[in-house]
Amino acid sequence: MTDVLQVRGAKKSYGSHQALKGVDLTVKPGSCFGLLGPNGAGKSTMMKLLTGIIDPDQGHIEVFGLNIRKELSAIHQLIGYVPQDITLYEKLSGKQNLTFFGRMHGIRGTELKKRIAEVLEAVGLTERAGDEVASYSGGMKRRINIAAALLHRPKLVIMDEPTVGIDPQSRNHIFEMIRKLQRDGVTILYSTHYMEEVEALCDEVAIIDHGRIVSQGGLRELLELHAVKAVYAEAAGVSEPPVVDGIVKATQEGKGWVLECDHPLSVLSALSAKWAREGVTVKALELMQPTLDSVFLKLTGTTLRD
Amino acid sequence: MIATIIRKEILLTLKDKGAFFWLFALPVLFIVIFSSIFGSAGSSTTYKVPYYDADGSAASGQFLERLGEIKGFALEAYEGGSLEEGVKEIKDGSRSYLLVVPAGYGQQVEAGQSAEIELYRDTVADEAVAPVLALLDSVSASYHDYKLRGILAGMGQNEEAIDAIMQPAISIKEVKENATKTNAVTQIVPGYTVMFVFFIMINMIQNLLKDRRSGMLSRLQGTPMKPIHYLVGMWVPNVLVVLVQSTVLLTFGQLVYGLQLGHPLAIALIVLGLAVCATGIGLMLALLVSSENMGIAMVQVIAMGGAIVGGLWFPYEFLPKAVQTIGLFTPQYWAQKGMQDVMIRGMDIGGIGWTLLILFAFGLAGLGVALLRFKKFALKTA
Repeated sequence: MTDVLQVRGAKKSYGSHQALKGVDLTVKPGSCFGLLGPNGAGKSTMMKLLTGIIDPDQGHIEVFGLNIRKELSAIHQLIGYVPQDITLYEKLSGKQNLTFFGRMHGIRGTELKKRIAEVLEAVGLTERAGDEVASYSGGMKRRINIAAALLHRPKLVIMDEPTVGIDPQSRNHIFEMIRKLQRDGVTILYSTHYMEEVEALCDEVAIIDHGRIVSQGGLRELLELHAVKAVYAEAAGVSEPPVVDGIVKATQEGKGWVLECDHPLSVLSALSAKWAREGVTVKALELMQPTLDSVFLKLTGTTLRD
Repeated sequence: MIATIIRKEILLTLKDKGAFFWLFALPVLFIVIFSSIFGSAGSSTTYKVPYYDADGSAASGQFLERLGEIKGFALEAYEGGSLEEGVKEIKDGSRSYLLVVPAGYGQQVEAGQSAEIELYRDTVADEAVAPVLALLDSVSASYHDYKLRGILAGMGQNEEAIDAIMQPAISIKEVKENATKTNAVTQIVPGYTVMFVFFIMINMIQNLLKDRRSGMLSRLQGTPMKPIHYLVGMWVPNVLVVLVQSTVLLTFGQLVYGLQLGHPLAIALIVLGLAVCATGIGLMLALLVSSENMGIAMVQVIAMGGAIVGGLWFPYEFLPKAVQTIGLFTPQYWAQKGMQDVMIRGMDIGGIGWTLLILFAFGLAGLGVALLRFKKFALKTA
C-alpha cells in the first residue's frame, strides 16, 4: 500500500534561520503519527510544507504518492488541515463558519448540510451551531476549528497542536474524535509538545528538535530502544544514594532516588535485601516505566521545553 | 470559490456596525455641515451689513434704503449701544465691520458737497469686508452718475443725449454655459462622496492583514483555493460597498439639496470607475504595507491629500497653479471632474471617456500589483 506521506531531505530556511535541516519522514496509511518536539523545533514549518502553504527550499514531498509541487490541487482534496491557531470568523456562527469551509472544499447543497450536521454531532456542538463563535469557550472553538477540516472527508488530517490551552473535557472530546477518525481509516498526523498526548493517541512517533528528526518509529519500539532502564527507591532516613552492584547512575528525584542500571530486576532484588537487613522503612521500591519523556531526554539531552 | 469568499465577506461587513458609521453616517454628516456653512442648503448667500446712522436725516435714510434694495445684502441697524461701543467690538475682534453714516451727512448732501460714509473694519477681516467694500463702491459710483446726470441736465442736455453720454465704454455680458446652476452643493456632495469612498481602503487593509495575522490565510491556502480566488473574493465585496455608499450619498444630495445628477448612466459609470479605482488601490496597499498602522497612515495621506489637491474641498480653479498640476495625477481630481462634467455641464458617456479610462487604469494597476505581490504577502504568515 502507498505510504500516506513520504518526505525526503526537506529543508526550509527563513532568512538566516534554518527551520528544517533535512527532514525524512514516512507515514503509513491508517496510523496516528505523532510529531513530537518543543516549541520552535520546526513542527509548524513541517505542517505547512505538508499542506503546500510554503515550499521547501530543498527536498521531495509526496502525499498519497502525489508530488506536492506538481499536484497540489489534488492533494488539497485529500487532506484536512487543522492549524495551531483558531482560525474562525468570530462574528459568524459555528454553522456559518462550517458552511464557508465546506464550500471552500467544493461541497454544496444537501451534501454540505448533511456533512455540517455530521461534524457538529461529532464535535458535540449541534446545540450551539447557530451562535456566534465569539460566544464559544476556548474548547468549543478548538472543536469547531477541527470540525472545519473534516467536512470534505479527508483521508489525511494534519493537526498542528490542536489542544493548546483547552480544558480537560474538551481535550477528551477531541481525543475521542481522533480515535474515531482513525477507526474509520483516516490517517492522522498529530503535532504536539505534550508527551502524554502522543502516548495516549499515537502508534508511531517522530521526535523533532532544532529542525532535525532525532528518532522515528513505533511508540513501543522507541520506548524499548531509547528509554532508560531504572529503579525508583525511597526510604525513611536515607539521604545518601543507595549503593548496590549494577547501579550505573543515581539521581535524586523528590524524596527518593532514580537508579539507572542495565538489569533493573537484579538491582531491585539486591536493594530490597539490603534495606531488609538494615531494617530501613521502605516507602517506594519499583521498576520505572519507560516514558517518552525519558526518551526525549536521552535523545536530545534536554527536557521537553514548554 | 470566489462566490463563497464574497458571500462570507458580505456577511462580515453587514455585522460590522462601525463600518456603517465611517462609510455612510460620517460622510452624510460632513455633507450636511458643509452644505449648511457654505451653501445654506443650496440657496444663495446674503451678507448682513450692520450700520449706525449717527445723522438720522432724510438723506441718510434714503442712502440706507438704497443700500438695502441691493440683492445679496441685508442691512441691520446696530443695536449694541453707542458708536464707541461698536468700534470697541471691532477692535476686540468680536465684529468684522460697521457701516457708519456720520452726523452732518445730510447737510453735506444738501449743500452739494462730497459726503463721507465711514466703514469701520477689522484689518484682518479682508475677506469678509471685500463684498461690502464692493457694494459701497458700486453705490458711490451710482451717486456719481446721478450727480453727472444732474449737471448734464443743467447744461440743457435731454434724456436721450444724457443716456448716450453716460453709456459705459465697455459692458460685460454674462453668458452661462452650464446646463445646471453651480452652487456649493455641486461642489460639496460629489466632493465628499469621492473623498469618503477612499476610506474603504482602511477596511480592506484591516481585513486582509487580520486574515494573515490570524492564520486564516494559511488555512485557506490548505484548501483548493488559488491566490486569484482569494484576491477577487476579498476585493469584490468592497466594490459593492462603495457602489452602495456612493449611491446613498448622491441620492441624499439629490433628495435633500436638489442636486442634479445629470445623465444617470454616465454618473453610474463614474461611480463604478471610482469603486474599482479606490478598492484596487486599497488591495494593493493591503498587500504592500508591513503593518496596519502604516496602512492607515498611507490611506490618510492618499484620501486627505488627494482631496485637497484634487479639488474636493475647494473648487479646483481656486487652487494655486502648482497644486492644480499635482491634482491632475490624482484619481480624486478625475472623479470629481467627471461628476461635475455630468452634473453641471450636462455631459453624457461620450464626454467622460478620459475620466473612466483613468479611474479604471488606477484600479486595474492596483489589482495587478496585488496579484504579483500575493506570494510574498502570504509567506509572512509562516
